[in-house]
Amino acid sequence: MNAHSIAGLIALNLYLLVVGIAVLFGVRGWVSWGELLRLSGFAYMLGVAATGVALVTELVAGLDLSLLSVLATGLVLAVASGLAGHAVGHSLPRGRSVRVRLSGTAALFGALLIVYSEALFRSGRLAGLYEFDGWAFWVPKGEAIYFFGGLDRQFFAELPGQSYPPLVPAFEATAFSFMGSADVVTLHLQFWFFFIGFLTAVIGLLSPHVPPILLWPPILLLAVAPHVVGHALQEQGDFILDEFFALAALLAGLWLIDHRPWELAGVVLFSAAAMSSKREGYLLLACIGVAALVASSRQVRLMWPRLLLAGTIAVALTLPWRVFLHVRHLSSGGAEAGGLGLFAHADRAWPSLRLATSATFDYDIWLIVAPLMLLAILAAAMAGATRLAAYASFVVVLAISAFTWVTWAFPSLPITKEAALNPIVRLTGSLAFASTVLIPPLLTSAWRGRGSGGIA
Amino acid sequence: MIGAARERVRVRGPSRAIVVIAVVSTCALVGVHYVKAVSQLGDTASGNSALSFDDREIAGGNSIVVDQRAPYEARASIPPDSTYRVVVGKRLLDRTPLTEEFVTTWLTYFLMPRRPAPDAHWVICYGCDSSTLGDHYDPVWQDGEGISIGRLP
Repeated sequence: MNAHSIAGLIALNLYLLVVGIAVLFGVRGWVSWGELLRLSGFAYMLGVAATGVALVTELVAGLDLSLLSVLATGLVLAVASGLAGHAVGHSLPRGRSVRVRLSGTAALFGALLIVYSEALFRSGRLAGLYEFDGWAFWVPKGEAIYFFGGLDRQFFAELPGQSYPPLVPAFEATAFSFMGSADVVTLHLQFWFFFIGFLTAVIGLLSPHVPPILLWPPILLLAVAPHVVGHALQEQGDFILDEFFALAALLAGLWLIDHRPWELAGVVLFSAAAMSSKREGYLLLACIGVAALVASSRQVRLMWPRLLLAGTIAVALTLPWRVFLHVRHLSSGGAEAGGLGLFAHADRAWPSLRLATSATFDYDIWLIVAPLMLLAILAAAMAGATRLAAYASFVVVLAISAFTWVTWAFPSLPITKEAALNPIVRLTGSLAFASTVLIPPLLTSAWRGRGSGGIA
Repeated sequence: MIGAARERVRVRGPSRAIVVIAVVSTCALVGVHYVKAVSQLGDTASGNSALSFDDREIAGGNSIVVDQRAPYEARASIPPDSTYRVVVGKRLLDRTPLTEEFVTTWLTYFLMPRRPAPDAHWVICYGCDSSTLGDHYDPVWQDGEGISIGRLP
């Protein structure tokens, strides 16, 4: 909890940014330095996702996670991405000038976001570790990796949450290495970097396509939502899962409109990272996959093979962890009720749906993010942007169905929003985040109408 | 041309009206909740900085451990490469509703890299009956609440 630890975290996140810039060069490239600056948040999140998936694979393979191995991993990722980018013809811009155009609206909301970010930073700088899941298994797993190098046989078997993939503990251990000690207080700030990186990624991705007045307010609405203000810096996997999920949802939505390959590459990377963060990631990413397949059903031959290939690669990247669970005879985290058990607990279906819906629309948790999403979908559909509207509709419906299934399929969970008893509020975060990133393009499509080319 | 413009307004009017409603209501809510959020975050920061080092480090454990000295004494007494076991009993003079159920889990987190082991020589006795540990239990620290830390040969 001192300047030394904070300096360590800054170094770690600069390192993630550098790796991410290399990954960005590999999958997309940039035409000007100003564009790279605009996409720096996106590059950072790419770096987090790529490094996280790589670290999980290394841990499963039995490699020790140390400062040196983390740096080597980043180097390998950067070199491989650089070579891939070079192979597909990406090159660095020739000029050195960095031009950034900022409208008055963007400047105003940007200033608000900076003040908010500073307040969030201060709130986390000296925060204690209070959350049960945090001290019961998320942080101890990170400590175990930090102290013992790898996936320690004792702790990863005895601590709760056996089936949870170790992306978050791997980052916690990496943060400890960069800070020089297992400083669980300053560790909160690592989650600040993730959250702010996510917000800047969304702003950078959407700002060329969406007018500032349609982009910034929904993002600030999420930032000031009570659940975000109270829990964004928790040392757990929920928010990073939401951030990866939302970025995958956004890129999938953009790809449905303009079919750019780098967007699908981003979907693969963020999907794999989401599934490596929490087991719910599989369920949530299935929602995106099905929604994208349905929304593109008029171009089955063109789009479905690519979507299915992307999904297959993303799942394949998470298979080592599933194999690891099997080899070590650890719980795979299946539903309590089992496959047909849902019918035995049919009486829980309606209360589970009601709980999922009420948590999603709860003003005291997410303000009006969900109603705003419905309005945006309606407006986009009315304006003729049917593909994006259909995709967003299916994401909402499928996600709420998934939340319903979680409470229904785990009969030990009481029907309540009480965080200590049922994870429903944390689960709905994924949809709140995904809604927030889809609302600006939906509103833009609604404003411009189909004839003007939607958001592209 | 006027006809085309009218047609655009007819087609886009309702969707644009929804966009305007969405933006205005979002901006209004952001205006209200932004101030609340920044204020709440400031209060949280002030509350955190007012905590003592021990309160901040033990944090969630404050509702479990009863006596803050116990986990610190355990860290000081038990070498980092040793094993320990927590024995919980009914002899605590003071307890919280969470103590008996969660003290072992919380100490696993707090005492890392020390490993819990059922046959460990180091014992953290949380209200246990020390006579059940054998005649050779040698407490190196104890408080008046029924907590002790000791070693078995």
